[in-house]
Amino acid sequence: MAPKQSDLFQGTLDLMVLKAVSLGPLHGYGVLLRIQQISGNRLEIQQGSLYPALYRLEHEGWITSEWGQSENNRKAKYYRLTAAGRRRLHAEAEKWNRMADAIGAILRATPEEI
Amino acid sequence: MRISKRFGTWWKAITRREQLNCEIEDELTFHIEEYAKDLMRSGISQDEALRRARAEFGGIAAQKENCRAAWGTRIWDELHADVRYGLRMLAKNSGFTVIAIGSLALGIGANTAIFTIARQVLLDKLDVYKPEDLRLFAWADGENRVPIRIWGHWNETNHTCTSFSYPVYQQLRRQNSVFEDIFAFKVIPQLTVTVDNKPEPVTAELVSGNYYSALGVNTVLGREIQNSDDGAPGSGAVVVISDEFWSRNFGRSPDVIGKTIEVNLTPATIIGVNPREFTGASSVQISPDVFLPFSMEPIAAPNGPKSLLTNPEQWWVLVMGRIKPGISDESARGAMDVLLSNAVRSTMTVEKNQSVPRFAMEDGNRGEDLNGEKFTRPVYVLMVLAGVVLLLACANLANLLLARASGRQRELSVRLALGAKRARIMRQMLTESLLLSTAGGIAGLFLGYCGRNAIPHLMSSSWDTAAIHVRFDWKIFGFTAAVSFLTGLLFGFMPAWQAMHAQIIRGLQETVHSSVRGSNFSGKMLVVVQIALSMLLLVGAGLFIRTLTNLNKNHPGFRPDNLVLFEIQAPNTRYPAPKNIVLYRQIEQQLASTPGIRSVTLSKNPLIAGNVSNDDFVPDSLPLNLNGKAFVDDNVVGQSFFATLGIPILAGRSFDGTDTETSRLVAVVNQQLVKEYFPNINPIGRTFLSNKNHIEIIGISGDTRYADLRNDPPATFYTLYRQQPKGEPSMTFEISSNIEPSALVPVLRGAVTSVDKDLPMLNIRTQNAQIRDRMKQERIFASLTSGFGLLALILACIGIYGIMTYTVSRRTNEIGIRMALGAQAGRVLCMVLGEAWWLAFVGVIAGVATALAMGHLIASMLYGLKPYDPSTLVTAALLLIFIAAAASWFPARRAARIDPMRALRHE
Repeated sequence: MAPKQSDLFQGTLDLMVLKAVSLGPLHGYGVLLRIQQISGNRLEIQQGSLYPALYRLEHEGWITSEWGQSENNRKAKYYRLTAAGRRRLHAEAEKWNRMADAIGAILRATPEEI
Repeated sequence: MRISKRFGTWWKAITRREQLNCEIEDELTFHIEEYAKDLMRSGISQDEALRRARAEFGGIAAQKENCRAAWGTRIWDELHADVRYGLRMLAKNSGFTVIAIGSLALGIGANTAIFTIARQVLLDKLDVYKPEDLRLFAWADGENRVPIRIWGHWNETNHTCTSFSYPVYQQLRRQNSVFEDIFAFKVIPQLTVTVDNKPEPVTAELVSGNYYSALGVNTVLGREIQNSDDGAPGSGAVVVISDEFWSRNFGRSPDVIGKTIEVNLTPATIIGVNPREFTGASSVQISPDVFLPFSMEPIAAPNGPKSLLTNPEQWWVLVMGRIKPGISDESARGAMDVLLSNAVRSTMTVEKNQSVPRFAMEDGNRGEDLNGEKFTRPVYVLMVLAGVVLLLACANLANLLLARASGRQRELSVRLALGAKRARIMRQMLTESLLLSTAGGIAGLFLGYCGRNAIPHLMSSSWDTAAIHVRFDWKIFGFTAAVSFLTGLLFGFMPAWQAMHAQIIRGLQETVHSSVRGSNFSGKMLVVVQIALSMLLLVGAGLFIRTLTNLNKNHPGFRPDNLVLFEIQAPNTRYPAPKNIVLYRQIEQQLASTPGIRSVTLSKNPLIAGNVSNDDFVPDSLPLNLNGKAFVDDNVVGQSFFATLGIPILAGRSFDGTDTETSRLVAVVNQQLVKEYFPNINPIGRTFLSNKNHIEIIGISGDTRYADLRNDPPATFYTLYRQQPKGEPSMTFEISSNIEPSALVPVLRGAVTSVDKDLPMLNIRTQNAQIRDRMKQERIFASLTSGFGLLALILACIGIYGIMTYTVSRRTNEIGIRMALGAQAGRVLCMVLGEAWWLAFVGVIAGVATALAMGHLIASMLYGLKPYDPSTLVTAALLLIFIAAAASWFPARRAARIDPMRALRHE
């Protein structure tokens, strides 16, 4: 079973959204699909928390939004990463990698190493 | 940048609420529809796909709210909701809302109006450059001080004076090293200015040539008075006019510069117009009409043949300095004390055993500030009274809100049970209180604005041309806003606190009426506080009303009815003494021969007008055993003074046609003088020495009050104006006639004009108006405190009625049981009334205690009674207890009529 988003660390959703948007402008539903696609359907984003997250990120100035046309010619709101968002993404990604390394190291530990 | 970005989204969320909501909705709908399409691709029907998409997505409304909240609008949205909810609640209880806003408006309005006065009397500073650097010079009296004649204010309590002689001022200025500059000024309360042949009485300020430069004030038009204007006495015929005078006489025309007007019939050129805010150096409230250089003194303030500018004995000039930076007041005082001592010794002869005045210094940022001194206590008392009224309104509202909050217990319990946070409930209750207080504040500001000129109007004489203008600006607005906010917190806190601690389970289980049994203590406390405050206001009203009636009961000693007064100033240039005596005599005779006028007289000082003069009085050939008191009051009067004013002549005779300029000097003395100086001696035919003249006493008159109605008639002697060698610069005419004053004045004016068309009649009023004017402070206090007292009674009524109605409705069940068990209706009635009386009694006791504690504040303002006047206290107490009984009568009767069966089924 795919891990639910609530099982993830706080702030992971923000990181994933920023990453998804960094690959190209997306509308909200597109963000959802892209995260599922990249993760190979191993992660399931709760639909209810996606939009508040998008609005929060926009409030912080990391992404901007504008209305545009969707693939099937419908009006949709597209999100795009800002320069500040790109910096934020790098910083968060680095933090995440360090954290993952550290946790990985702990989990790999054997009695002989101590 | 992020801050500005955040603000941008927040601002959009708040200002374009609807647009944002639509956008979010569009976005979410798009999401659901796209998702549904994807679901349909896996073979699900459209309806089913949409249903599943919606179900998985969750509630759109909640999502919308979360999205908005992500933009930092939670607090704002909640406030918005609270305000809307509060407005709905207030609209629902419109009766309550009207009472609440009305009582708040009265309370806040009274405070606003009184603050506008208090600010002028206590806070405002001169509108000049750095007023805080100004120091007003003064001197302190010493033991056996060198004799000084003072024309100015003498501070009785501190034995200090702010008047200096002109030669002393000049020497101080020359030798000064601690002040940047020293300048002088003097307000001349009345002189005549003729504009385009129309004479008009105005107030003037004589100023030194460096006055404008030292104050740092620039004229808005033309130029200031300069040192070159202030030359030899009689020269420098220039005048700077006030903004008000400019408007009144010249319609703000810029052509006014260079125009010639007459000052006391001497031509002078207008050289400048003062800024509107500048009120002169003497007062912060009101500006003199014209400003003249000191060199104009012989024309503006004629005082015999010798100019005051060279007279070292007459001390009359006010002096101010701007202290140098870095010099302490103490060192300035020390340096100036030496200079003053030198200046006095070099201008006056000081005997060996005599001392010279010691230099003292006062704050100069409010000018001479005589009004400040005079009105400080009354203004404080008014502020306290207005504050009590507002507190009373607060207590009343808190009480009503508390009763209402108990009624809303069920609603609050439901909200708490559904998960509302207690702090949120409290915030909601406070929002409602603040809504009320804001509405009350706005209404109060409006009332205050309407009433802003009412009190200054009451304080100035009805015949005064100059009016005090109250500035109504952002400071007043700030004060009212702060008062409203604090008021809202004050009366809203207790109900909010109680709401916050509502018990969910009990609130839901029990009925509204019995849910807060026994917790009504705070409501009763509030009623007690209300009654105590009402008691305070009622006692105040009683004391001031009794003061006024006591004063009215004081017979002045003369007949004030059908008397019209006006003043005539004889300009020195046209009527140098003794020509002024001839002028007065011509006017007197002209008036006496006018049909419809019963009799005419004149006097140096009108009676009950606050003015007295006194002179030395030494009876000839009698040992002076009067412990050194050798001064008595006197008045210079016309021949038929006693007949016109209805003062009885008790022995001897009054003045008559045989007393002329050339006959021997005569005087009439009053009974009081005889009692003090001639006990058991017949004074008629005896002489006394006054002003180096021997004067014969020809008659004894009845006693009259002199300066005011408060003081007992002083020992007084009267002399005839025709026998004054110097004549008087101005006299007040008293005309007795049965003609209506409004019809009489044109007749009088015609008579005066026929003698000299350039002489204005000044301060025309009836003697009764003059007496009322002297008592205006007492009248203001009597009317304001009665108004406050009435308001207090109404609020107390509402408060007691409210709390008793509430108590009865809460106890319906209990009373029903009592009656079912056999309690009589009368007993129930007594029970409820007794409870109200008990509250009233406790409140009255608390009020009496407070009133006694605060009595000393107003002791000096009362007349003929003490602040603990028993009859006032008892009357007020009885009135309040009666009101308590009346207000609780209806609830009590309702209780007595409760039908036990229905009451028991009530739940």
